Amino acid sequence: MAYAYLFKYIIIGDTGVGKSCLLLQFTDKRFQPVHDLTIGVEFGARMITIDGKQIKLQIWDTAGQESFRSITRSYYRGAAGALLVYDITRRDTFNHLTTWLEDARQHSNSNMVIMLIGNKSDLESRREVKKEEGEAFAREHGLIFMETSAKTASNVEEAFINTAKEIYEKIQEGVFDINNEANGIKIGPQHPTTNSTLSGSQGGQHAGGGCC
Amino acid sequence: MYHVLTKNTTVTDHNRNLLVETIRSITEILIWGDQNDSSVFDFFLEKNMFAFFLNILRQKSGRYVCVQLLQTLNILFENISHETSLYYLLSNNHVNSIIVHKFDFSDEEIMAYYISFLKTLSLKLNNHTVHFFYNEHTNDFALYTEAIKFFNHPESMVRIAVRTITLNVYKVPVDNQHMLHYIRDKTAVPYFSNLVWFIGSHVIELDKCVQTDEEHKNRGKLSDLVAEHLDHLHYLNDILIINCEFLNDVLTDHLLNRLFLPLYVYSLVSPETSEERNINPQVSLYLLSQVFLIIHYQPLVNALADVILNGDLSVCTPQTDGHSTHKNMASVGGLRRFIKPPESLERSLEMSRHRCRKRTQKRPNYKNLGEEEDDERAAGGGGGSVEPGGEENWDDNSRLREREKGKGIEGGGGGSSKGSRASGETAEEIEMVVMEKCKVSELTEQNITDEEKTAAATRSHAQRSRPFLDMVYSALDCTNDDYHALFVLCLLYAVSHSKGVNKDLLERLQLPVPDQERSSYSLVLVERLIRVMSQAAQPESKVRLATLELSCLLLKQSVLSGDHCIIKDVHLACLEGAREESLHLLRRFYKGEEIFLDMFEDEYRSMTSKPLNVEYLMMDASVLLPPTGTPLTGIDFVKRLPCGDVEKTRRAIRVFFMLRSLSLQLQGEPETQLPLTRSEDLIKTDDVLDLNNSDLIACMVVSKDGCQAQRFLAVDVYQMSLVEPETKRLGWGVVKFAGLLQDMQVSGVEDDSRALNIIIHKPSSNPHAKPLPILQANFIFADHIRCIIAKQRLAKGRIQARHMKMQRITALLDLPVQPSATEVLGFGQTANASPSALPFRFYEQSRRASNDPTASRSVFASVDKVPGFAVAHCVSQHSPSPLSSPSPPSSGSGSTGRCDSVTASTISAQSPADEGAFLDHTPPSSSGAEAEGGAADTMPGSSGPALAPSLTPASQPTISLLTESGSDSLSVESLTLLPPADSPHLHPCARHSSISQSLLTAEGFIPEEEEEDIMADEREEGGEGGWLDETETTVKEVTTELVTPTEEEPGGQEIPAVKEQTKDQSLPAEQTEMHNETIDSPELD
Repeated sequence: MAYAYLFKYIIIGDTGVGKSCLLLQFTDKRFQPVHDLTIGVEFGARMITIDGKQIKLQIWDTAGQESFRSITRSYYRGAAGALLVYDITRRDTFNHLTTWLEDARQHSNSNMVIMLIGNKSDLESRREVKKEEGEAFAREHGLIFMETSAKTASNVEEAFINTAKEIYEKIQEGVFDINNEANGIKIGPQHPTTNSTLSGSQGGQHAGGGCC
Repeated sequence: MYHVLTKNTTVTDHNRNLLVETIRSITEILIWGDQNDSSVFDFFLEKNMFAFFLNILRQKSGRYVCVQLLQTLNILFENISHETSLYYLLSNNHVNSIIVHKFDFSDEEIMAYYISFLKTLSLKLNNHTVHFFYNEHTNDFALYTEAIKFFNHPESMVRIAVRTITLNVYKVPVDNQHMLHYIRDKTAVPYFSNLVWFIGSHVIELDKCVQTDEEHKNRGKLSDLVAEHLDHLHYLNDILIINCEFLNDVLTDHLLNRLFLPLYVYSLVSPETSEERNINPQVSLYLLSQVFLIIHYQPLVNALADVILNGDLSVCTPQTDGHSTHKNMASVGGLRRFIKPPESLERSLEMSRHRCRKRTQKRPNYKNLGEEEDDERAAGGGGGSVEPGGEENWDDNSRLREREKGKGIEGGGGGSSKGSRASGETAEEIEMVVMEKCKVSELTEQNITDEEKTAAATRSHAQRSRPFLDMVYSALDCTNDDYHALFVLCLLYAVSHSKGVNKDLLERLQLPVPDQERSSYSLVLVERLIRVMSQAAQPESKVRLATLELSCLLLKQSVLSGDHCIIKDVHLACLEGAREESLHLLRRFYKGEEIFLDMFEDEYRSMTSKPLNVEYLMMDASVLLPPTGTPLTGIDFVKRLPCGDVEKTRRAIRVFFMLRSLSLQLQGEPETQLPLTRSEDLIKTDDVLDLNNSDLIACMVVSKDGCQAQRFLAVDVYQMSLVEPETKRLGWGVVKFAGLLQDMQVSGVEDDSRALNIIIHKPSSNPHAKPLPILQANFIFADHIRCIIAKQRLAKGRIQARHMKMQRITALLDLPVQPSATEVLGFGQTANASPSALPFRFYEQSRRASNDPTASRSVFASVDKVPGFAVAHCVSQHSPSPLSSPSPPSSGSGSTGRCDSVTASTISAQSPADEGAFLDHTPPSSSGAEAEGGAADTMPGSSGPALAPSLTPASQPTISLLTESGSDSLSVESLTLLPPADSPHLHPCARHSSISQSLLTAEGFIPEEEEEDIMADEREEGGEGGWLDETETTVKEVTTELVTPTEEEPGGQEIPAVKEQTKDQSLPAEQTEMHNETIDSPELD
């Protein structure tokens, strides 16, 4: 279970937007909703590969802890990425985004990558927030945007992986201080072999480029 | 499924996948059962599935299965919605067995899943479910105790989860006495003492980080440590907010006696007396400010503030003072129920030690901390006095505590060597113990020595002052730098704003309490604050802007009581001195450069838009490092010293602004000259303007994204605007866009001689931000002539707008007016150098009047509120434009001449060009303008509308003008004939005409008494303004002359003069200038 990096994510957004379902869908695909269940989870981890490197994502849901200021504060600070989720069938969850974003920006470290996610895209008939609105909001605030469905698993992988890619790029650019674990990034245990992995990643880069 | 599990009770490599899949399916079915059919649960219980789970776990089945199982449980508990299902799952104590199962916590994945599992469970805690977790008989609360073992886990997310769990546990409603007792007696003390130590060691690391810092290299680490400390404080505050008295007492006690007092407070005064257990005074000031900003729990912060402020416990009557400090804590203590049988301090310590020992043994991975902490507590002796003893034992307890406090303070004061050793020791015993965990034997020694010392401390207390407060005050000295001063100010601010600090405590020291009536203030503090300010106003000063802003804030808090200011004259004089200094400082930087204007306005904007937030300031670790000058550190401008000339200028501007606004506020005066442009004076989008006789140029506006619109371009004093015709009223227009001329860039378009490219940037509050264009478009005109006209008009407008503003800055700085750098109008400046304040005043007047709500709100939009009145006269004002067509300069001056005699206010509005010129002639007395502004405020309101009939004669001269000009119907076509240099005319017609009307009436037709009233008003304004005597008198003189010409001149003179002027309209500029002079001169006598 060796990995090159570990990225810590948090998921934020109003209750009922499907945060924990997204998380479960991403970390444990075997929970296919055969019985039309809504199942979620508050924590999950999964390995992905970016640029030929194993990257572990550790995702913490902050649900239920909003009443403690200290907790939310700390969560934000310890994360390298955040998924900001709203429900496309509920306008109010979209309207609250500004508040969430303010919170996130205030408490997190400035490099945190935030991805905006409009969840429940399978419920097209009950849609209240247009895709364009989400896009516009994301553009305005410098976020990455995507519509997903935790139910059909559409775009779920992409959402998590694209965020990871962004973080990874920032690491390559040297924006993140990877030696500082408080940023929500941890270097894998096998990292002494950095040089060899780096040279190896050159080859992997092409492969990575090919798949996207 | 069940069968699969029974068959595979032992985990092997082969069935691993099968098992995992089975567990997963079971979960899924269970959740489905929870949501649909309860019989599933019955089956689950019946077969005792959890036992299988446990069995699997016990087989050391490897992480794969472990993780899956934990995750499964997680999912299970999280998705259960029915209470009864939950009870099913929790019964039989299987869950607790899983909790205490020894997982391999070195595996970070298992750790993470495990702690999330605990967290999920803790979220399910409530009054009912708590029984499943807390076992009354065995007195065990696995969920909680297992969780707190990880409170100092290196992984931050785990620590956060632990905090969440503890908070969730504490939050459980309090009717379970047993559980509470358990938490308090068995876990609170060890947990909190460890927690406090954990925080303390972080603080020491932080301090080390500050001390060893070179060239700001440690900033990244430092900011993490600071954030960590903040997290801790927030966590503590969250616990305190839950308001569980039992816990709060223990926690308060620990925090005060083991962390805040020994480590933070004592560090303020005795950096040299004790060896290494101290932190830098600036660090401790910084941390204390954070404490006061975040924690508001009354008993805690009040006691802490008391020690800092009244560190004299020992001086007068240590007993009483000690009591008062103590009482604050006891008061809450008194409220709580003393259920426990009274037992002696020693015994209770013994008991809990015993208990803790047991506990420690029971839990090997507690890192053996329990033991030390125990000894620590024993060693702490009096200081630790945690146990809620009975009444009789309380006294004893408090006396001990008192002693210790006395001891500490004594040490702090440096009164006796013994005492100081004791204080060092106090800190030591807190920190040492935990830092050198293994040396248990040594600890027992310490125990003894400490007891000796406690005894020694009972001896009579030496003389004491208020060492902490003295230190705090003396640190305000910024002669060399303001490193300490900034923190002191923050601390004082935080203390005075803390809800938990008793106001009496502050008032006794006359410290500033916000929003409270008072009649005196702390002289020491105020004097020091003023000294900071005057130091800030010195060239090469080392005072940062943040420090200055904060001291201004505190000073206001100190001396403003309600609406009035209680500052003593002598202090006010000092303050004025500082303000004056800042003025001089700024003058050194003032150069007639254009960029100065931008900087000036930028600084004003950023100062007003982002007032200092102390809480944010105290979150920024960068202030912990010695103040630096270089912007390369990325530190905010206000938090560092200026670097280079530009920043020095910016700083000087800011200092000036701050001291100016402070001085104005303390003297109860409104700010009248800043900002240079007020948004309420400007034309806004959707305003409806009367554009009859305005210069309009039709054009097609093609914006960047390809939108096209037919608009009319109009140029005002400060702004250009794009209007489209109003449908209801002929000649009126609706503003579709308005932008400041000063921020505009005009350039030709290469391949189209009829087009102009215009960009207007938004004035940004952040000078580093990329300028954001609010308009970026190509303007296409009918032909190239119109295009050139527009271009010139815009360009001139821009120069003039900027020039006018520069003039106003000059006036603000009391600088002599420099000969105009921009000879836009070709006026002979020197000819008119005589100090006539007239035009400027009138300009001001019109400006002010628009702000005055009584003055019929003459912004365009509201024009129709004064019907007739406005419309009738705006016509007249525009007449000069067509008249003056032949030569650009004469047009300007022509109107000037006329306006001068008739309605001076129109000058300013109508022809900024003239005004620019006049500004040049204007003496530096902006005071004149000010006073006039006031006058204008009073006049339209009082006389304007009321005396409407009297307007007729007043408007006569202008009517005659009209006939002379002959072409008052200004079509767009006719406009194009105008020479481009003609001053731009977009008119707030109503505004000016109404004022001019009222002015006229005031001048000529108001009965004598009323005039006098107005004059009186004006004088009052002038007086209130507090301008220097000199200028004040000129103001009076001038106003007298202006308002009541009859006093010095024959009443009718004004009107003939007008006629004369109008005839001269077409004369060349020089001549008109002469007229100007002639008119001016009599008034100057």
